[in-house]
Amino acid sequence: MSQETPEPKAAPQQRRIGVYICHCGGNISDYVDVAAVREALKDEPGVVVSESPVFACSDGTQHDMIDDIRAQNLDGLVVASCSPKLHQVTFRNVAKRADLNQYAYTQVNVREQDSWAHPHDRAGATEKAIGLVRAGVAKTRLSDPLEPLRIETVPRALVVGGGIAGLRAAIGLADVGIQAVVVERESRLGGWVGRFGPTFPDEASGAEEVAGLVEQIKARRDITVYTNAELTGKSGTFGNYAAQLTLHRDGSDKQLTVDVGSIIVATGFDSYAPDEGEFGYGIDGVVTLPEFKELVDAAPAGTLSYRGRPVRSIAYVYCVGSRQEAPGNEYCSKYCCTATIHASMLVSKLDPGIRQYHLHRDIRAYGRNELLYNESRDRGSIYLKFPDDTPPSVQKEASGGLSVTVTDLLTESRELTLPVDLVVLVTGMVPRENSDLVQVLKLPVGSDGFFNEIHPKLRPVETVVDGVMIAGCCQSPRTVGESVAAGLAAVAQSAALLKKGFAELEPLVARVDPEKCVGSGECLTSCPYDAITSIEWDGRQVATVDPATCKGCGGCVPVCGSDAIDLLGYTDAQMRAAIEEMIATDVPVKEPVG
Amino acid sequence: MDYDVLVIGSGIGGMESSIKLADMGYHVLLVEKEASVGGRMILLSKVFPTLDCASCISGPKMSSTINHPNITTMAYSQVEGISRNTDGGFHASIRQKSKFVDWAACTGCDACQKACTVAVPDQFNADLAARRAAYIAFPQAVPKKAVLQREGTSPCVGACPAGIKAHGYVSLVRSGKYEEAFQLVLDATPLVGTLGRACYAPCEADCTRAKLEGPVPIRLIKRFAADKHYEASGQSDGRAVEVEEPNGHKIAIVGSGPAGLTAAWQLARKGYQVKILEKRSKPGGYLRHAIPTYRLPHEVVDADIANLTSLGVEIECGVSVADPQALKDDGYDAVILATGTQVATRMDVPGEDAEGSVNGLDFLADVANGAAPDLRGKRVVVVGGGNVAMDAARVSLRLGATEARVAYRRTRAEMPAHHVESKDAEAEGAVFELLVAPTEVVTAGGRVTGLKLQKMRLGEPDASGRRSPEPIPGSEYVLDCDLVISTIGMSPDSAPFAPLADKRGRVAVDPKTLQTSVPFLFAAGDVTAGATDITRAIGSGRRAAHMVDRWITGQPLDGFTALDDRLETISTDTVLSRQTAFGHRHPISGDVSLVHNPRDFSEIEAPLTEDQARSGAGSCLDCGVCSECQECVKACPAFAIRMDARDELRDVTVGAVVVATGHKLFAADLKPEYGFGKFPNVITGMQMDRLLAPTRPFNTVLRPGDGKVPDRIAYISCTGSRDKTVGNPLCSKFCCMYSIKQNQLIMGALPLADVSMHYMDMRASGKRYEEFYTQAKDMGAQYIKGRVSKITEQENGDLLVRYEDIENGGGVVETSYDLVVLAVGIQPNRDVERLFDEAPLGLDEYYYVAEPSAELSPGQTTIPGVFVAGTASGAKDIVDTILHSGAAVAQVAAHLEHQHFTEEVTV
Repeated sequence: MSQETPEPKAAPQQRRIGVYICHCGGNISDYVDVAAVREALKDEPGVVVSESPVFACSDGTQHDMIDDIRAQNLDGLVVASCSPKLHQVTFRNVAKRADLNQYAYTQVNVREQDSWAHPHDRAGATEKAIGLVRAGVAKTRLSDPLEPLRIETVPRALVVGGGIAGLRAAIGLADVGIQAVVVERESRLGGWVGRFGPTFPDEASGAEEVAGLVEQIKARRDITVYTNAELTGKSGTFGNYAAQLTLHRDGSDKQLTVDVGSIIVATGFDSYAPDEGEFGYGIDGVVTLPEFKELVDAAPAGTLSYRGRPVRSIAYVYCVGSRQEAPGNEYCSKYCCTATIHASMLVSKLDPGIRQYHLHRDIRAYGRNELLYNESRDRGSIYLKFPDDTPPSVQKEASGGLSVTVTDLLTESRELTLPVDLVVLVTGMVPRENSDLVQVLKLPVGSDGFFNEIHPKLRPVETVVDGVMIAGCCQSPRTVGESVAAGLAAVAQSAALLKKGFAELEPLVARVDPEKCVGSGECLTSCPYDAITSIEWDGRQVATVDPATCKGCGGCVPVCGSDAIDLLGYTDAQMRAAIEEMIATDVPVKEPVG
Repeated sequence: MDYDVLVIGSGIGGMESSIKLADMGYHVLLVEKEASVGGRMILLSKVFPTLDCASCISGPKMSSTINHPNITTMAYSQVEGISRNTDGGFHASIRQKSKFVDWAACTGCDACQKACTVAVPDQFNADLAARRAAYIAFPQAVPKKAVLQREGTSPCVGACPAGIKAHGYVSLVRSGKYEEAFQLVLDATPLVGTLGRACYAPCEADCTRAKLEGPVPIRLIKRFAADKHYEASGQSDGRAVEVEEPNGHKIAIVGSGPAGLTAAWQLARKGYQVKILEKRSKPGGYLRHAIPTYRLPHEVVDADIANLTSLGVEIECGVSVADPQALKDDGYDAVILATGTQVATRMDVPGEDAEGSVNGLDFLADVANGAAPDLRGKRVVVVGGGNVAMDAARVSLRLGATEARVAYRRTRAEMPAHHVESKDAEAEGAVFELLVAPTEVVTAGGRVTGLKLQKMRLGEPDASGRRSPEPIPGSEYVLDCDLVISTIGMSPDSAPFAPLADKRGRVAVDPKTLQTSVPFLFAAGDVTAGATDITRAIGSGRRAAHMVDRWITGQPLDGFTALDDRLETISTDTVLSRQTAFGHRHPISGDVSLVHNPRDFSEIEAPLTEDQARSGAGSCLDCGVCSECQECVKACPAFAIRMDARDELRDVTVGAVVVATGHKLFAADLKPEYGFGKFPNVITGMQMDRLLAPTRPFNTVLRPGDGKVPDRIAYISCTGSRDKTVGNPLCSKFCCMYSIKQNQLIMGALPLADVSMHYMDMRASGKRYEEFYTQAKDMGAQYIKGRVSKITEQENGDLLVRYEDIENGGGVVETSYDLVVLAVGIQPNRDVERLFDEAPLGLDEYYYVAEPSAELSPGQTTIPGVFVAGTASGAKDIVDTILHSGAAVAQVAAHLEHQHFTEEVTV
């Protein structure tokens, strides 16, 4: 397109813009008079189509829009619906399919920013919607055609974390033709699972599984592993990042840069560490779940003993460090119910005579894990449910033994005291300390401390940082199989991005007008992405923006004293026109903006 | 290789798999059994824990799927079988189910759906509401195209030799479209009023309702439509039908009985110039000259014939055709012989020609033509046991005969007369003289005085399977009478086609094409088949007209199967198995007034009232689903309806397969103690999701029993899950969460409603799930630990729920609720068992697709190159499904990278 002589752009009021105000199946139309908005817009200068579909995003309406764009020769498209986060790409694609420049599309958010915000003021919400849509139209009138920035991608991915999810992902990457580079902070690979014996549901030994993966990785030339290594810097853009690795070698650090197309973060979790005295922690014979798992895995056949003392009875106290009242850990750690049941079954196999009491709030043995739960009861495990507000307490008896006192809802809330040899605190997962990595990758962290995905339902491995993915327990607590699935899903996502060999970036970036730039250098320091540099132009120093690095945040625009910077797609002229429309909403029909 | 990957199922797992693979550059064939992609997720209200609108996040995914340049989507299709190729890839055969709508032309405008006259439970609304037989799956369907659900031809239509769309006009009358009903019959034959009275209605015998309390009164519904039409428009409204431009061809039809009239009608509408030549002085054949007016008034026949003449068909009466060749020479392009069976079979006994001995055909024709004999005080014996015999006896009574005896050589059981005819004849006073054969007409002075009969007994079965009567020697006796009417059979008059006659005097034709050995000469009706009935004659007339048209336009007369787009007739058992219970409908039948020794010829059967017609039509079970009423055909602005579409099989080769066939939901009626299916206010979680969805059927949350907005709502978790009594010990994983989601949505929609959930363990395991549960509790939802043992319905529709309240002392408590929602869980979709031809896909003990390495290679199955994504391998929520699909996709890509497919070499 760019080689051809561009058609002269129509004057703003002569533009041919289609406007669609979505009902969102009631999400908008229950609170906004959609028909009134449509009618208010239909005579706006430059508006030639004004419609109000039930679901603008439905395939049928998309087809209608394409037909309108073609039949009416539209040169601008405005959809007033939900957040652009949801559907900007959807409607840009509509424009593309109709051979309309996708940046002649403007999304107006009348759902999150209007109908949902004003559910009890229909008149006000309707007036606001009219203003918002008019602003969108005003911005569209001044839109210029833009083309995405096309960049070559590197068929290599960085995996941060050498636990089971990371290792499996590395193999998955190599399997689909993407070289993998693994960095592991610790000296050994395998993370938590590498220390485990049998795991559910396959009963495979975690250590053996990890060893198997490591063997495979060693045999492959398309996977490189660095242990005692960290990701300490990242530059470049999605599809072509330069990742700085720091290798801790014999007391000195070595720096290494690798070019990667995507980054999979699989840094795992830490186990909750109970406070001294929390459910008796600190008393001899009170252990956490990972400590117990290690004890059971290491036990010789036929017997279980703790510090030389035979264990004849065990109490498991569930939800330690999980499902706490705020400001504690409010989340459920998901894996621990089944992991505990599984460990208790291993105990039963060691010695069926060991009495086991499970003190829980809910047994969350979801899905097929229910079968393990059933089997453990069949093998004699006793389950007691305690009230949320009356947790059990652990005491050391004068005799030297331990006892647990619990209110059992299943026996009419009787308070029972159980003398036991061992108390297992079923500790959950907590997010790992990763503040350096968060800094380097600009990773979004949730209120629970785990990394956040871009959309928890449909885009669970992507983050808001293009090409940076998360997998496994760094995102939220989960099981081995679930972590591996997420790692492989990140592989699939990487392959979907990188196998084409190129990627397209948003052209909505800052641009410096060198004629106006006085070379003050203010913008250089304002850019958080180091996208602006100073170059010589026409015999003087001016600022210039690297479009591939610029994120389009607009931070440089207001600091420029000489108004030399504009943000493509959000130019000053566009924003000014939009604001002017918005503050003059009470006039039903506007004079042409000129 | 046609495609790199075959993905089976387009739910969220199938879509995610397809899009990711397509983004990587692989070519994907996505097969979906429904008419829209999207699976179950698009039908949900919102999703947990984000409360995103399901349409908003799944709609774009559907759109991306269908519009992706690397994805080919086959909707409304089924994978029939997959086998492995020698190159390591797979061969799949896919059935493209006939949609009966040309999707290239369909714009998804909804006109067919609005016009459709059949309503069936809407599976996309969890059966809470109805949809049409012509339907677009749901408002956000992708692609937004209509399909016509035709499960087969309905038994009534299948039974009709005339090919009349009985189900169609019944559904039209049910919808109040009386004129359309008339026009639908008119499409087959002009004899609408006639059939409404004189048809023996084989449709009713095969009607599925007949297996319940009694058939739909199909014939009387047709009469109702005909009466309505003629009342409103007078007699000659045939011009309302569509007629093609005159094509310049001339056709002669000999005979104006039902076959000839129907053939003329069909040809005239195709633009032929048609002339009927009739020997008698008035048209109609036996409709006028044999069927007595108390069954079929002449005005009705006249009105029906006027349909035809108003199109310009000329009927010339009083002409005998001696030689069809003369017609050909006269400029007719083709001739159809439809002369029927005019020659009465003789008894061949002494005295047969005496005064007072007549044959039934002449007797009835004389009565029809106003030359009825005066039979007052006379005794009549009718010989024979067919319909003509019954008519002769009943007419005799009406003419004053003191006695009308029917002498028949076998028993009542073998009588060929329609059972209604013989029953009615008897009710009117006819007396049956059975197991007798005439040996002599006894005369005195040239006049009949009696009939000598010989008694018979039944011997061995003859060729027809009926036991042959054998004379009993020495058993002769004389029945005194004044008139003997012989009705023992009839045959064609073969004079005009003597060289073409078979040994029974019928014209020899190819039974399929109805063409004689003289190419321009076709034949239709009883002249080809012997005496049958009106429907067969009409069917034959339609066929002859169709064949003549094909012959004249140079199309082959064979190689096509359907004259009228019929499918295979659906079995009544299949229809009855769709429902577990049927509401009783009081059967509606005709009000026939029969008096002993009737004295007049007025019509004996009363018409249905409008109420009767509509409620009778309302009892139709819509066996074939689509009633073939043609309303969608007329309504479609894109002319996209294709009633002649048929399933198509497509064979493809693919490199890998992703099974994303999803799951089924537990059938809640398998827990009878909860009363689902019996108590209308007990619903499933899926139904509640529909009540809450943006495209909800009722625009609010209400209870189905009486439409009341519920104040007290109870959830019962683990319905059909964690329950060995229904054979499913597994936890379904997502029910706790969707219940919590619905709890929150209900509290939003109905701020005053109380929501309680009876649970076993609250399994809020997943990112932000526990917080979501806490939020529901904070909003006021009650969570009650303990199982529900029984639900009882109260008189006002409320439900008494009996449960254990563990956290409050553990007692058994009963609470009354307005609405109970059963949190039904997941069941395997066992369709996967049929996918693979040779080596079957490995399943686990609960019939989910087995994953031999669930920890390290989730999504891998027992067959290399075959992967599973989503709930086909067990309970998963949406995010689990997305991750699982991603895992499957990564391994599909790995498989395709390492498998070097070679072209198969054919030796």
